[in-house]
Amino acid sequence: MSASAQRMNEVAALQAQLEGAGYVAERPLAAALLLMLDLGRPLLLEGDAGVGKTEVAKALATVRQAKLIRLQCYEGLDVHAAMYEWNYQRQLLAIKLLEHDAREVSRKEEDIFSERYLLKRPLLEAISCDEPPVLLIDEVDRADEAFEAYLLELLSDFQMSIPELGTVRAVSRPLVVITSNGTRELSDALRRRCLYQYIDYPAFEKELAIVEIKAPAAAGQLARQLVEFVQSVRRMDLQKKPGIAETLDWTAALLRLGISTIDDDGAERILETLSALIKTRDDRAGFTREVVARIAAAC
Amino acid sequence: MLIVAPSQAADPGAAVRARLTGFAGFLRANGYGVGGGDAARVLETAEHVGILDPQILRWSLKALLCGRGDEWRRFDALFDAYFLPPNKRAFAEHRTTTAGVAEAAGGLRDGNEGPPAAAAVEGTVGDDDGIAARHGASREESLASTDFRDLDHADDARDIEALMRRFARRLRHLRLRREARFHHGRRLDLQGTIRQSVGSGGTPFRLAWKDRRRVRPRLVLLLDVSRSMSQYSFFYLRLARALCGELADVHCFIFHTRITGVSEALRDPEPWRSQERLHLLAAGWAGGTRIGECLRDFNRDHGPRLVHSRTGVIIVSDGYDTGEPALLADALATLNRRARRLVWLNPLLRRPGFTPESRGMQAALPHLDLLAPGADLASIAHILPQIIDTLR
Repeated sequence: MSASAQRMNEVAALQAQLEGAGYVAERPLAAALLLMLDLGRPLLLEGDAGVGKTEVAKALATVRQAKLIRLQCYEGLDVHAAMYEWNYQRQLLAIKLLEHDAREVSRKEEDIFSERYLLKRPLLEAISCDEPPVLLIDEVDRADEAFEAYLLELLSDFQMSIPELGTVRAVSRPLVVITSNGTRELSDALRRRCLYQYIDYPAFEKELAIVEIKAPAAAGQLARQLVEFVQSVRRMDLQKKPGIAETLDWTAALLRLGISTIDDDGAERILETLSALIKTRDDRAGFTREVVARIAAAC
Repeated sequence: MLIVAPSQAADPGAAVRARLTGFAGFLRANGYGVGGGDAARVLETAEHVGILDPQILRWSLKALLCGRGDEWRRFDALFDAYFLPPNKRAFAEHRTTTAGVAEAAGGLRDGNEGPPAAAAVEGTVGDDDGIAARHGASREESLASTDFRDLDHADDARDIEALMRRFARRLRHLRLRREARFHHGRRLDLQGTIRQSVGSGGTPFRLAWKDRRRVRPRLVLLLDVSRSMSQYSFFYLRLARALCGELADVHCFIFHTRITGVSEALRDPEPWRSQERLHLLAAGWAGGTRIGECLRDFNRDHGPRLVHSRTGVIIVSDGYDTGEPALLADALATLNRRARRLVWLNPLLRRPGFTPESRGMQAALPHLDLLAPGADLASIAHILPQIIDTLR
């Protein structure tokens, strides 16, 4: 069997495993994940909010049976919140307690700056796991450039230096998944270091498969109709297009209200549930009874 | 270039390897940010995934070599063009013709009508203050208050360049000084205080404070580059380039009949590539201005992502709109709701006898925070710090 054919089988196998973990992945994404395992490079995922970027990391962790460590980025995230911090309160307490201890000062110091007093934040935790974990760095574009530089350093060497302890090397290389919503342009250096995957809103078949996996109760006619409805809504000129999470919420809402089919007669009841799908006031104003009836009739 | 160990050389032959490594160069020529080490990584990838199945090779190389959304979308066509033989020739021909068009367009510039975008980037590398300093302050002052359309591009280009960089740098100082003032906060940061006290043996001399994080101010420039603005757009693009270089959060768009983001192209450190990219963006240059439609498109495609409560939006246009005024008013109202400050710079405003009576300007006026003249650097120097001030 040639390398390519073998690879294709691996891709298909991974795709099936991901589906087993509740994530419907297209083959290109599965191929990229395999390459990420081969080359040991981070995977950068971009795309609109709600297309399932974060889910990739979760599914990968399930498939690999690895621990998922998540670092949620935000503006003002600093080294102390992301890498490590000393537990100052405990250290001060320990100093007081050690005052009457007969040991040498250097011994005491070693004790105070030992790992017991180290608070591990996600990045340090990720490189000190025995089994390679999945490290999810979520919404990296929300953190500032300075943090991005730190991250680059970590991602190139997988080691971290703590002045009091020395250099901590990765016991095992974590699988790094980085997501970005594009609120800020990422540096070229970070982009070049990562494999890249742009995730678009799902096509009809993919979204249908997702709904059928996540909400089996809706399977069949209702699932087809509601996915068709959401796809039409996405083609409209909206401020905030509904993502997959919205589709699933809406599915749950429809099921809860006992709606089993989408047609123009039921437009009133659909209107009641639209708050699960449409999230801004301006967008909501565009959905009159007539508009909903028209879209529903086409489903 | 060929970094494959001899033992592995037998399976993909030398020709195949050359072909694969050539792909990285091909993408670089097409504006991808592909680096020198990527050729080796292409080979490594090919070893892992094999080369017989084009699909699997495509998916893997796509993940490896793309770095951003637009590269992602263009990749498939380029992959086909490179690896599928019949298309390759057709694509190469296409490329030479577009390059020819771009050159022809560049030649037009002498007649003051060509794409200002192309003009804006040439010779921008020599940016030291020394050039301006040589001429002395009085020369600079006179330049600053000269109407842009009276300036001769070729003679004054370098001086203008230096002047704009100094101007942009002044803005940066302004920002830093103001940020430094926020050193005291509302709440005591206990962790921080103890951390700082380590240096003084555990006695907290200096207190650390927490303050609410504030969104950083951001500037969005929307430049009209239609024919009626051609005398001004040259300078505004230079100003935009200087601002992009000095301030972190500046986003620039040009519009005439449609709107295009140019921040990427302006920031490109390589002048040749920057020029090439602006050439491509300047496609479809002639024709009227449809400000309303362009702003609506901006609101739809970029508004939610770029414009937040601390964003200043600056529109530079003469207000001659061939589109529907109601559409313009609508788009401006939306933009104004979202942005902190909506400013319109009209280069014609200072001209004797000019009143903003065009239908476009009339529709726009009720939705603007400020309408200001913008024909020379002095008036911009006057207005920009004010705008930045209102953003904090």
